[in-house]
Amino acid sequence: MQVMLAGFNRYGLLPGLLALGLLLAASPGHAQLRLDITQGVRDAVPIAVVPFGGQAEGGAVDVAAVIANDLQMSGRFAPLERADLVARPTSGADIRFEDWRLLKSDFIVVGGIEPSATGLTVVFELFNVRTGASLLAQRLPSSERGLRVTAHRVADLVFERLTGIPGAFSTRIAYVTMDGRPPSQRYRLVVADADGHNPRTAMESSEPIMSPAWSPDGQNLAYVSFEGKASAIYVQRLATGERRRVSARAGINGAPAWSPDGRRLALTLSRDGNLDLYTLDLATQTLTRVTSDDAIDTEPEWSQDGRALYFTSDRSGNAQVYRVALDAARKAERLTFMNGYNARPRLSPDGKELALVTLDRGGYRIAVMELASGNLRVLTDARQDESPSFAPNGAMLIYATRDRGRGALAIVSSDGRFKQRLSSDQGDVREPAWSPFVQP
Amino acid sequence: MPGFFQQHLRPLAGSAGLHLLLLALLAGAALRWTSPQPPVELAIEGYVAEAPKSVKALPDPMAAPVARTPEPVEVPPEPVERVEPAAEPPDRSAEMAAQAERDAQAERDRQVAERAAQERDAQLARERAAAEQRRAEESERRRAAEAEAKRKAAEDEARRKTEAAEAKRKAEEQAKAEREAQLRADREAALQRSLAAEEEAAALAKSGVMDEYRMLLVQTIERSWIRPPSARAGLECTLYVTQAPGGTVVDVKLGPCNGDQAVRESITNAVYRASPLPAPRDPRAFERRLEIVFKPTE
Repeated sequence: MQVMLAGFNRYGLLPGLLALGLLLAASPGHAQLRLDITQGVRDAVPIAVVPFGGQAEGGAVDVAAVIANDLQMSGRFAPLERADLVARPTSGADIRFEDWRLLKSDFIVVGGIEPSATGLTVVFELFNVRTGASLLAQRLPSSERGLRVTAHRVADLVFERLTGIPGAFSTRIAYVTMDGRPPSQRYRLVVADADGHNPRTAMESSEPIMSPAWSPDGQNLAYVSFEGKASAIYVQRLATGERRRVSARAGINGAPAWSPDGRRLALTLSRDGNLDLYTLDLATQTLTRVTSDDAIDTEPEWSQDGRALYFTSDRSGNAQVYRVALDAARKAERLTFMNGYNARPRLSPDGKELALVTLDRGGYRIAVMELASGNLRVLTDARQDESPSFAPNGAMLIYATRDRGRGALAIVSSDGRFKQRLSSDQGDVREPAWSPFVQP
Repeated sequence: MPGFFQQHLRPLAGSAGLHLLLLALLAGAALRWTSPQPPVELAIEGYVAEAPKSVKALPDPMAAPVARTPEPVEVPPEPVERVEPAAEPPDRSAEMAAQAERDAQAERDRQVAERAAQERDAQLARERAAAEQRRAEESERRRAAEAEAKRKAAEDEARRKTEAAEAKRKAEEQAKAEREAQLRADREAALQRSLAAEEEAAALAKSGVMDEYRMLLVQTIERSWIRPPSARAGLECTLYVTQAPGGTVVDVKLGPCNGDQAVRESITNAVYRASPLPAPRDPRAFERRLEIVFKPTE
């Protein structure tokens, strides 16, 4: 360093460099007009997802179409219509950014599918059209059968790079459908990709199915089935279809919820003639009573640390959300005071918020309550929305709504900025539950 | 051939002579040509300032004679000649008387001669002294004249120097006055410009043009900013933006920013998306450089 400094000084470079540095450092400060931007718009970000190379048009899985649809479903992106794509570059070198700027596209995804020794490789790259910067470039191993999964994975990565939030397009949703009319109605427990594609029936019954709940590892579903003419709680392993009845006590067996460690279920039972909360150890079948109130206590949800339950109770005269610690005192604390009806609490993945159904200006709507402040923000504006469930990235919620007299699924961003109905031809759809992140 | 030479000997000789003469002239001219020319003074001011210096640098022609002090006139002492009487051998009485008489006569003669000689010497000495006196007087006169000439020359020199210095001072004073006048004028003009700019800015501000322009820009950029979910209250990101006169965004530089990649991407794109930025109602309100701070409230 000494030597370097001496060298600099000998040539009088150091003062010059310092002066240059000061000049450069000072130059941005010369900006004359200062503007404060305090608001943005809720528009979706325009993005071009160009059909991938190496794929025949009309193939089984159109990778670019899957990616574009995922991004669109999030509500945060507005993929260009395919007919509007001015060119079909499949690599960064082929992109003429000025063309895409004219199309008002902010970002562009290009890629291709290459055969590999083990199957296929999906190659993709994400660019900022305005600056021409490459933001993301990856090669993902895939297969003919796994192309859709890989496409969701690409959407996850693009979403994360552009929003700062991990994408949840590779996850799944469970929900219950009902079609037909009594006495010939059919109930189905369905598991589908998060985009609604690839629905598979996990269980089918002529009697009602209710309250599907994902185990923390995403391998099992707990649900209520009335198949024996009375309610019982089952746990079903999705991969094998093997299932186990875990609670079939007298009266109502309802609203199962998995503890964070996956070892216990919280549930609601009416064996004393009144609905109260219990926990059930799945390995030992040990049942522990949590509440014993004259009112209805139901719809339990575990706290992040597994030491408390959020639940709905009408002990104040109408439905409100409470919290009870799983300690000796079991003292319940009321959390909601804003509206005359708050029910069905679901905890956000970061543990900071509760999604719930609130009676807001004459409609049952989905809202999110910040636990620290108690502030409630209503996300939806229909009349009969129910069963909110957070996506594992916390960015979106899926919920049930009514569409022309039938139950349907919808997605809303956690800040309420984007809403989108999931189209379905599966009859009456209700009680959606979003899966956790599943390790592939 | 020899006949030709014999016939034309005279004209040829004349022609050769003429050529030689011309050559000599040309050589002379060439010599003159190659002699170095005095450098040309270009700057008038510099010329004025240089003049007295060059005078000073020249050797003083008057100083040389003065430096020679007059030699002292040496008068060698005149040797007084003394003729010694020759020694006579002793004589007899008559002979001795006659001899005595002769001797006395000789002595008288000798004394007369001696007096005459002394007289002559004195005269010579007087004449020499007079001549000396004249020479001294002449020397004194010459010295005085020389001193006078030198004094006069010195006076002239001093006067010339004073005059040159005066001229230089005057020139410098004038130049300085001109410079100061120019500076004053410049400052005045700058002040006027600054005042005018301030007045213009004030007028623009008063007329609301500036506020309107700012609002127009803010609205345009806010409409273009698709806020990612991570852009929450507490976020503060600065962009330094340069726009071309038509409003086309030519450069966006990210300044301090506490947002994530998604935020950075979104704000940069907001500005590019808003390009070309709107023009102010009054073109004077246009500003090339913008400092844009993204600071969402909710």
